[in-house]
Amino acid sequence: MAATSTEESDAELLERFDNVRLDHINKHLYRGLLHKELRLSRCSDCGWWHHRPKPICPNCWSKNLVATPVAGTGTIHLLILLHQGPPAEGVDYSTPHPVATVELDEQEGLRFTSTVVGADNDDLEIGKRVELDWIERNGKPYPVWRLANDGGGR
Amino acid sequence: MSIAKRNPNKDQVAFASAATTGFTRSAGEVTQASLALDACVKAIEAAGIDKSEVNGLIGANNGYIQAALGIPEVNYYVGAGVPFGFSIANAVGAVASGQCDVALAYHSIYRNASNSRSASNDPFRARAFASNPNAQALGDGFGPDTVGGAVGYTAWASRYLHEYNESRDLFGYIAVNDRSNAQRNPAAVMRGEPLTMEDYLNTRMIRWPLSMLDMDVPIDGADAFIITTTERARDMKLKPVLIHACTNGQVAQNEEDQTPSLTHHGQHVTVESLRAKSDIWIDDIDVFFPYDGFTFITVSWIENVGWCGLGEARGFIEDNWDKETNRILIKGRIPVNPHGGALSEGGTQGSGHTREAVHQLQGLAGERQVPGATKALLPMGGFFFNAQGSVLRTE
Repeated sequence: MAATSTEESDAELLERFDNVRLDHINKHLYRGLLHKELRLSRCSDCGWWHHRPKPICPNCWSKNLVATPVAGTGTIHLLILLHQGPPAEGVDYSTPHPVATVELDEQEGLRFTSTVVGADNDDLEIGKRVELDWIERNGKPYPVWRLANDGGGR
Repeated sequence: MSIAKRNPNKDQVAFASAATTGFTRSAGEVTQASLALDACVKAIEAAGIDKSEVNGLIGANNGYIQAALGIPEVNYYVGAGVPFGFSIANAVGAVASGQCDVALAYHSIYRNASNSRSASNDPFRARAFASNPNAQALGDGFGPDTVGGAVGYTAWASRYLHEYNESRDLFGYIAVNDRSNAQRNPAAVMRGEPLTMEDYLNTRMIRWPLSMLDMDVPIDGADAFIITTTERARDMKLKPVLIHACTNGQVAQNEEDQTPSLTHHGQHVTVESLRAKSDIWIDDIDVFFPYDGFTFITVSWIENVGWCGLGEARGFIEDNWDKETNRILIKGRIPVNPHGGALSEGGTQGSGHTREAVHQLQGLAGERQVPGATKALLPMGGFFFNAQGSVLRTE
C-alpha cells in the first residue's frame, strides 16, 4: 500500500492531519480523504471489507490489505441528534446536529459514521438511503452523508 | 463459538464485607484516592479483620492505596478496570488460585471537569485528569461525527426504537424506577429529588433519543469490598456472600458502529456463559441489578437475561409496575436496582450495584431490605467492551 507518486508522503500527511493519532495502519484511510475518496480496508485475498483499519484481515488473516474506495452508497442504520457536543468548524448545535452510522452497500455490517448534510432533521430516519458527499472542514475534504436523490427507504 | 462454561470455583470465593462513602455531587477538597481510602477502611473494619490480613489489592493506583493504608505485604495487585464485574472476576481468579487469600477490591469515582460543571470550576480537578491519556478522545479526526464511546448506546437506542416501533417513555420507566428506589437509600445522591414520567419527558435532550435523565449521575464517592475464600469468610464478622458464577462477554466486531446487531453483542455472550455456569437464574432470584449507565442498557438486560422477549420490555415493565411505590417490582416482590442504580444513587460503574447486592444478601440494606433475600443476579456493563455478569448467593 505504498503511496503513489501523486499522493502525499507520510510527512505531508502528518502535517495535514496534525491533530489525529495517525499510524502506519490508518494512514491510508486519511490519505484517501485528501483525494475525496473514502478508502476502507479490503482484503485482496478473500475480498472481505473491514472498518476501522486493522493490520490483518479479520476473516482470513492475510496481510494483503488494500485501502479501497467504496461506492459511497448505503442505508442509515443508526441515527442520533446531538443537542450539544464538542466544538467543530461549521457545527452549530442550535439546530440538533445529526450523526448517522450508514451500512454500506459493499458488505452486510460494514458501516461508516459521519454527519448528514442538506436535509431537515425531520426528514432523517433509520432505513433511508444516503450517498457519500464531501465538504470542507479545517481546510481539508471531509466525508459526509446526503439523502439519496430517490430518497426512498428499502 | 467457544463460550466459557466451566465453573470449577463455584461458591468457593465470597464477599466478606462491602462498604461505601455514600455519594454526593461534591465531596469537597478530596482526591479520587482519598475517597477510595475512606471506603477501604470501612470495608476492612466491617469484615472485622486486621489490615495485615489483606494480601491482595484490586483497584486503581494500588501502590498508593497500599502505602496509605500501611498494609504490610501484598502478593497480588491489579487495576481491573470498569465496570466492577472485572474486579469480581479478578478476585475469584486470584483467591481461588492462591495468588492471594484476602483481597481488598475498591472503586472510586471522582467528578472531572469534562462531565461536571461544578468540577470544571475546581482547578485541582481539571489538573487531576490533565495528564491522563485516557481522558482524551482517540482523535479519530471526526469531531462530533462519531458514535464511539458512550455515544454508542444512544445510537443503538435509536436502532431499538426503530426496530421495535418503540418510544422514549419506555426508557423513562427505568429512570423513574431508579429514582423512586433512591428515595430509600441514604447513600444516594438523588435522595430527596423524586421524579415523575412527566419530568422525564420534559427534561433537556442531550443526544436524541437520550436526555440528561437517561445518563448516570457524575458523583464523588467510593465503594470497597473484602473478598476471600468462602471458608475464611465464615470466620469473619458478617454473613459470607458467595460468588456463585461470574463472567465477561465481548464479540469480534466490538467497535460501537460495527457491532453486529441488537441480537448479537457482549450481553449475549455474557448471558450464554453465565447461564451455563450458574445453577441460579431469574426464576430463583430475590434482587435484580441490571446495569444502568444508560436507561437503554437496562432495557436490554431485562430482555437479554430472559424476563421477556426482544422488543417486549414495555409489556414486561408495565405488567410488573408497582403503582404504589412508582417502580418495577417483578412478580410483586423483586426490586430492580433497589439502591437507585447508577442513574440515581450515582454513576459507580457497577460498584454500587455490587455493594447493594452484598448488603441485601447480608440483611444490611436498611429500609429497602428485601425480606429474606438470598440470591442476586448482576448483569453489568453494556454492549461493546464491557459486558459482564455475576450471580451471588448466601449459604
